[in-house]
Amino acid sequence: MYARALTWWTILRICLEERLVYRGDFALGTLMRFLPIVTQIFLWAAVFAAVRAGEGGSDATIAGYHYQDFVAYYLLTMVSRAFSSMPGLASGIARQIREGEIKKYLIQPIDMISFMLLSRVAHKLVYYGVALGPFALVFFLLRSYFPGWPEPEIFLAFVASLIMSFLLGFFLEATIGMIGFWFLEVSSLLFVYMLFSFFFSGHMFPLDMLPQPWSTVVMLIPLQYLAYFPAAVFLGKITGDALVFGLLVQLGWLIAMIVACRLAYHFGTRRYSGYGG
Amino acid sequence: MHRPSYARVFLTFARNSLVRDMTFRSNFLIEMVTSMTWMLMNLGFYVLIFTYTDSIGAGTGWGQYQFFLFIATTMMINSLVQTFFMPNAEEFSELIRTGALDFALLKPIDTQFLISLQRVNWSSLGNFALALLLMGYSFTKLDYFPSAVQILLYIPYVLCGVTILYSLMITLAATSIWLGRNQSLYDFWFYITNFSRYPMEIYSGPFGTPLRLFFTFIIPVLVVVNVPARLLAMPLEAQNWWLAGFALAATALCLFASRRIFQSALGAYRSASS
Amino acid sequence: MSIIEIEGLTKSYQVYQKKEGLLASFSGLFRRDYREVQAVRGIDLSVEQGEFVAFLGPNGAGKTTTLKLLSGVITPSGGTARVMGHVPWKRENEYRRRFALVMGQKNQLWWDLPAQESFLLHQQIYRIDPEQFRRTRDELVDLLAVRRLLGQPVRELSLGERMKMELIAALLHSPDVLFLDEPTIGLDVVAQHNIQKFLKHYQNLRNITILLTSHYMKDIAALCRRVVIIAQGQIIYDGSLSGIVDRFSSHKVLTLLFADSKMPSDLARFGDVLEVAEPKVTLKVDRHVIADVLSSILANYTLQDVSVEDPPLEEVIADVFSLSYNEVTGQEAAQVVTSPSNQ
Repeated sequence: MYARALTWWTILRICLEERLVYRGDFALGTLMRFLPIVTQIFLWAAVFAAVRAGEGGSDATIAGYHYQDFVAYYLLTMVSRAFSSMPGLASGIARQIREGEIKKYLIQPIDMISFMLLSRVAHKLVYYGVALGPFALVFFLLRSYFPGWPEPEIFLAFVASLIMSFLLGFFLEATIGMIGFWFLEVSSLLFVYMLFSFFFSGHMFPLDMLPQPWSTVVMLIPLQYLAYFPAAVFLGKITGDALVFGLLVQLGWLIAMIVACRLAYHFGTRRYSGYGG
Repeated sequence: MHRPSYARVFLTFARNSLVRDMTFRSNFLIEMVTSMTWMLMNLGFYVLIFTYTDSIGAGTGWGQYQFFLFIATTMMINSLVQTFFMPNAEEFSELIRTGALDFALLKPIDTQFLISLQRVNWSSLGNFALALLLMGYSFTKLDYFPSAVQILLYIPYVLCGVTILYSLMITLAATSIWLGRNQSLYDFWFYITNFSRYPMEIYSGPFGTPLRLFFTFIIPVLVVVNVPARLLAMPLEAQNWWLAGFALAATALCLFASRRIFQSALGAYRSASS
Repeated sequence: MSIIEIEGLTKSYQVYQKKEGLLASFSGLFRRDYREVQAVRGIDLSVEQGEFVAFLGPNGAGKTTTLKLLSGVITPSGGTARVMGHVPWKRENEYRRRFALVMGQKNQLWWDLPAQESFLLHQQIYRIDPEQFRRTRDELVDLLAVRRLLGQPVRELSLGERMKMELIAALLHSPDVLFLDEPTIGLDVVAQHNIQKFLKHYQNLRNITILLTSHYMKDIAALCRRVVIIAQGQIIYDGSLSGIVDRFSSHKVLTLLFADSKMPSDLARFGDVLEVAEPKVTLKVDRHVIADVLSSILANYTLQDVSVEDPPLEEVIADVFSLSYNEVTGQEAAQVVTSPSNQ
């Protein structure tokens, strides 16, 4: 057991070091993450200006969000996306399968899924380690856009949903990567996932904006938990029974994806014919 | 022996790329469909916005279909950049990393020309077609059509926009000689050009105005789409002539600056160990 | 004037030093340690037109760096060089049209297209007259016997076939100077032999100047009359291949076949005993005392057969590689040769 933990710690440490080698790369990347929402915020400011002008200057809302809520929303989705985005996970797994690198996991006494999960934890830790500064600064400067700190229970729910969104994002993409055991080219499926994820996870806009039938579709798929759900929880858009229900559904999806991933790995490695190498 | 005919070399590049794309036909189609789908989804987002409002910004003149003309211009310029320059800029970082840039440096042809144009990504032209469709559609919904002068000026200004974006791209790609592995540099390009996607009027107020000035005069990405799009979507106004003139100057300056940076990068090239 | 003139050529790099451990990695974000690596430390060389020169040296000696400097791929830290009157790192088009560089296991041809498409691109870039191009291409293709492979995508060719295509591509514009960096590395024996044959033939035909780096003795022995040994960024020998043994080898290999099964019991005092298989004995003997050893053995024993040979070239060269420049020049002065294997 101790030996196991030691191995995991070594893996974590090596992954962390590997991330830090290209430091020019690293420092730039952290600052860059904030740029896309700047444009969005200005776009929405212009939209709200037009709406207000149209309604004779009264305070305007879109789908229940004031302009300030939009800004807060985007900042919060940055947090939830920081947890749930898994760049290169699915394509990396598919590539390793295609090129035969998977063999090393089958030969060595490492569980591939755990190894990858740890590697992702390492990546996220490093990111937060360095990004915490800029993040905190930005949030502090823009604190007037936030409706204030939520109640402790809501905050707890927020944290829980963030952790679950990390795991959910991981297992979702890992499962897609596992498809590589059956189909060589995973990239089309991955693209569809990315496309839907971009528009229907709440990354681009609060999902409350969608009309029917889209809003029903979006509620039925797990993508909302990758960006929208934690942000909406923090902003107090989801409370009471709906909140509990939402968290439970998120948990349900998470368990389903863990199972799917494990099954895919199990059957995939069985089927694996040592392609590539 | 004489200088190579750059036009013929480029045609060979284009032909070779087409042959290569056709051998991977399914990939080609998938890429074309995926980038077009992406554009369409973005368009869906804008349609969604216009269910809540009539225009972008109060009194700016960017109503729904003018805005669509703007978006069509963005699509057009981006598709040209993605067709002719994007794959080459990405490849350049790889060339540096693997040391394969050596081979480019051996050829008796301008290195910047070679590495900027050797690969043509034909599948990105799908978006170009989409842009034309969107343009056509928007004109049917507007009871406004630009004058002949405006249409004539549109094309060169689109090319100016492409040139400015190219200059930015090649400058960033060149820095990978000093900075090594480059994913965030590529992201950087995307983030910077993100600012060019919308009409410059949205950058107003205490924070917006400095941004607008920065992205007009320091890194002139706002000039890229705004100038041709205005030409197309709105009647000519004398007060905007200065911007059009500035766009030309900016294009020349960007091209010149990026060339200098590129040359200096080549001088610092270290190759890779064998 | 020599076709290649190099004086005091130097190239050094700054290499980022990584320290062990997590904390060190973090501090690396803010301050980095650099170590200076001198890849090439003052090389002086003259090559006449038509020469076929080999660069020999251990890994990391600076051979490839020197070739890259001469190709203009990298710029030096100091010193001068002129190839055909041009300064390579100025990267003038007139210069680039007149030489070629081929690197083993590195591919410049378009991967997914047939080689002939890459050749056509070469024609466009080098602006080769179409008639001339056809003639040169056919000549090279026939010499290397790859005609039927021209239409196949390069990625489908074997390593040896790809190397041949690379050579053709390099020679299409009829360069006057050819730089070859380990062209036969990773190839099987047959492919190596083919390429050697081709290079020899082509060089005789065209009388071009060739600089070749290789680890394979067979390449060098078959092709080059002049060998330049580079170690730790400096030239420590410049002469013929056989001269290396004369210069650096401290001993000879003596093989004795004793008659009458009578053998000396104290062989060790004559030299290092390499092998004893009665009645045959193989000894390593200091070359200065060979005559004395032989005469004292012959005085007391009957020999059926004797052979005195140089040690294998590879062995001598391996020893040379481990010497530093100072040791080599020190050797010259002292006329006493010490090598690690002679302890």
